[in-house]
Amino acid sequence: MKEIIVAVAGQPNSGKSTIFNMLTGARQHVANYPGVTVEKKIGSYSYQGDTVTLVDLPGTYSLTSYSQEERVARDFLLHEKPAVVLDIVDATNLERNLYLTFQLDEMGIPLVVALNMMDVAEGRGMKIDTYKLSELLGATVVSTVGKKSRGGEKLKDAILNTYKEDGLQTGYGVACMGCSACLGMSREKGSFRVDYGEELESILMPLEKRLSEDPKISARYPARWLAVKLMENDSEARRLVQKVEES
Amino acid sequence: MTLNDIKPGCECRIVDVNLDGATGQRLMDMGFMPGTKVKIVRNAPLVDPVEFLLRGYHVGIRHHEAKGVEVEEL
Repeated sequence: MKEIIVAVAGQPNSGKSTIFNMLTGARQHVANYPGVTVEKKIGSYSYQGDTVTLVDLPGTYSLTSYSQEERVARDFLLHEKPAVVLDIVDATNLERNLYLTFQLDEMGIPLVVALNMMDVAEGRGMKIDTYKLSELLGATVVSTVGKKSRGGEKLKDAILNTYKEDGLQTGYGVACMGCSACLGMSREKGSFRVDYGEELESILMPLEKRLSEDPKISARYPARWLAVKLMENDSEARRLVQKVEES
Repeated sequence: MTLNDIKPGCECRIVDVNLDGATGQRLMDMGFMPGTKVKIVRNAPLVDPVEFLLRGYHVGIRHHEAKGVEVEEL
């Protein structure tokens, strides 16, 4: 029996704690306002003989290092290296929510996306092509309604399958270096890539190459993600690189 | 012209976000980016906050934050 660590991430008020409770059967406090989960909380369930430990991260719009919540979420993803990230997306607010999804995808951790509050989205006449979305993100996308406990079994299935599929691949990080097939959003599973355009890529790609060629850095952090953060002049990312160099 | 100068019911397009640090970053994370269309929904009865509609969702921010977002009227 294995223990599979899964991080539950998502923007504030997207239903992370509701999904967390649905999967684990816990009675985590949930309120209808954002910011209820400030520290990470842990729960677990058994599925097909494996124990899955869920870590409920605080809701963040992004993964910069400006706020406490963002740092808690980001440090966990970077340093604890969960086997899978479960990204809870508010289906009624797809555009804003996908910004975090992109950042999670860029970190190179195997991703499962839960399109939550699908009932509300459908009630508003929104139609989401989950197959297409899954193809674009290179991640399994599952429709859920946390409040009505819908989609739980499918999520558990998706988490386990994503975990197993990743085990067959090399895993952490994206090795491909800007071949033509990778321009735009790559459709291959586990090799998601945003094309930031010529102007930025001319800085990003050499930086990414340098980082991935440094064995100490590339063993610890996904090069693409780190390159993007360094370009943003993220103070925490700069510190990470300095710390690795000193060690 | 800033987002704070636009009257409720009117629409505008973001030209620039002139805010540094955590506030500027947060607004950008929430979709306040150059080129984004924003509709001003209403002001709160006691001045702050002001409600906007952008990218299909509603958000309330402070007037002094809205002042940091440069826009053009549509």
